[in-house]
Amino acid sequence: MVHNRLIRNYLIIGGTVILLMMGFGILMLLAQGGVLSLSPPSFYQYMTIHGTGMIGAAALAASAVMWYFLSQHVTLSKNIFKANLVLFLTGLVLVIIGVFSFDYASAWTFLYPLPTLSAKAWGTVGALLYLFGMLIIGIGFLLLFIDTGRAIIKKKGSLAKGLGWDVIAGKKAEKDAPEPAIIAGTMVAIVNVTALIAGATVIMMNIIHTVNPSFTFDPLLAKNLTFAFGHVFANSIIYMSVIVVYELLAKYTNRPWKANKVFLIAWSMSTIFTLMIYTHHMLMDSVMPKWMLIIGQVFSYANGLPVLIVTAYGALMIVYKSGIKWDMASGLAFLSMFGWTVGVVPAIIDATIVVNHVMHNTKWVPGHFHMYMGLGAVVMIFAFMYYLAKVDGGLKVTKLDWIAFFSYIVTMAAVSIQFLVSGALSTPRRWATHIPEWMGPALFGGIAGVFLVIATTLFIVHFVRYILQRNVKRNDLYDEKLV
Amino acid sequence: MIQTVAWITSLVFMLLITFIFLFVAMKSTEKREYEPIKKKWYKARTFYGITLVVFMLIITIYTLRELPYDQPVYGKGEDPTIVEVEALQFGWELSQSEFKVGEAIEFHVSSQDVNHGFGLYDEEMNMIAQTQAMPEYTNVVYLTFTEPGTYGVLCLEYCGLAHHAMTYQITVTN
Repeated sequence: MVHNRLIRNYLIIGGTVILLMMGFGILMLLAQGGVLSLSPPSFYQYMTIHGTGMIGAAALAASAVMWYFLSQHVTLSKNIFKANLVLFLTGLVLVIIGVFSFDYASAWTFLYPLPTLSAKAWGTVGALLYLFGMLIIGIGFLLLFIDTGRAIIKKKGSLAKGLGWDVIAGKKAEKDAPEPAIIAGTMVAIVNVTALIAGATVIMMNIIHTVNPSFTFDPLLAKNLTFAFGHVFANSIIYMSVIVVYELLAKYTNRPWKANKVFLIAWSMSTIFTLMIYTHHMLMDSVMPKWMLIIGQVFSYANGLPVLIVTAYGALMIVYKSGIKWDMASGLAFLSMFGWTVGVVPAIIDATIVVNHVMHNTKWVPGHFHMYMGLGAVVMIFAFMYYLAKVDGGLKVTKLDWIAFFSYIVTMAAVSIQFLVSGALSTPRRWATHIPEWMGPALFGGIAGVFLVIATTLFIVHFVRYILQRNVKRNDLYDEKLV
Repeated sequence: MIQTVAWITSLVFMLLITFIFLFVAMKSTEKREYEPIKKKWYKARTFYGITLVVFMLIITIYTLRELPYDQPVYGKGEDPTIVEVEALQFGWELSQSEFKVGEAIEFHVSSQDVNHGFGLYDEEMNMIAQTQAMPEYTNVVYLTFTEPGTYGVLCLEYCGLAHHAMTYQITVTN
């Protein structure tokens, strides 16, 4: 109903890019596992495109999830939603050309001054193509989240009211609290506008430095801006996607999942903590003010509380003895809450300064975020894809989809755990080659990754079948259909 | 070893979470009134929430007692060995690479070009300490070797196409 064609385009592009990026992930793991000969330049190009593509595609698809549900409550600009997709695709083309035609390979975290100082591995053109590509993608998202904030302010009066602060303060009854989609939309608008401004700033500084190397800036400031952008933007993917979990589990269990004071406080905590805790990426920069690093640990712990005590707990409570009818959408929604919760554990462990001292930049870090993203955020996106195919297209799932569901759980868990094991073995991350002692887990992960790609392909095929359906009277009003 | 503690702790909590989700999934097909469940679960949440916060507070206080940034491992009046470490694409320059067991060392780490990571590995290839090597800044690692042997320095921050080749060896004798 709500501009579903555009939503479908977002999802199919996002889903397909995620699938392709998994392919690059497998190639890297097989190379590290010693069974595939991959030159270091190719490895680092794949690493750059894998990280950029995964974060970009997941954010794109997640923003469609948010847009779909949020637009049922507030009036969002369809033109901006369209413009974001066009800008994303434009930026993506520049990034791909920069990486594959001009050998650019700075990783998606592009720590200044690496984009310029590559030891002559790539030139100015490659760096500029990549950086401008990222800037264009960032501008698209910035417009989208500014519009999100604008629409919420128009409906609710302020962003504070979008987060339900008037309810927390007791000025309004709990029953009048904003809908979860509005609360999440407000949180994401706040954190992502901040993150994208930080990101655009550091990208522009890098661009100027690339064009004119005599223009320099502070590497520590650049690092702060890069992580303030990267951490928050990557984090926001799950906060956009989780809206589908609130909506689906409430519908499927026929139990209300409405915001109360604890729920509102949890989301306000997440808003503040998400902005604050990027410094846990810099715990090994002792020149940083010590209080900022301690904040990095303390608030990383605290940021686990909203999900552990409120969101995941709420999901468990609503499903427990509910008589829920499981299908792919509800199954994936429930799985995603498991993935989010379980992925929080290695993150909290690594945010502990004394642990970080011997585990930072080992494969423990990708272990955490593959679990958190692969079993959490991305699964929420797949849940939404199955939901839309069901309610809007009336498409039935087959046994193959269920096989894919269970295969996905096992293989994604295997990929994540091999990273964690590698991290515990002190294997450094982002290394094109491994010594024999480090190869085993990588090879295991690469093989698991092959089956993961097959499972994900089946998810995407189901969604493509939905898109290609003809002569179907589309109607995504779930409640109406139930009647 | 910290890595083992981190791994086992993670595994225990991850298995606990898995068990809870599986339990709820198994119980999901039964159908009961929601209100009594909500009442009971909200009550339990208060206890669970407080326990979790207290647990995290204890761990926070315990782990923040001794930070790697400000813990010289030598006593007052004892002069540490200062080692200047310079990173550059794609190698390390150390002002000294041979040390004695028990010698108090401060590695002053910086970079001449891009960001690198100064990771110290023992003979079994377990990481024992690290810091970032940054242009224009100097990060410090305090260390006293307790075992003789050949230790490795590995780059732990992606710095370009030969990042994985950026290694160095340190010798520690009795």
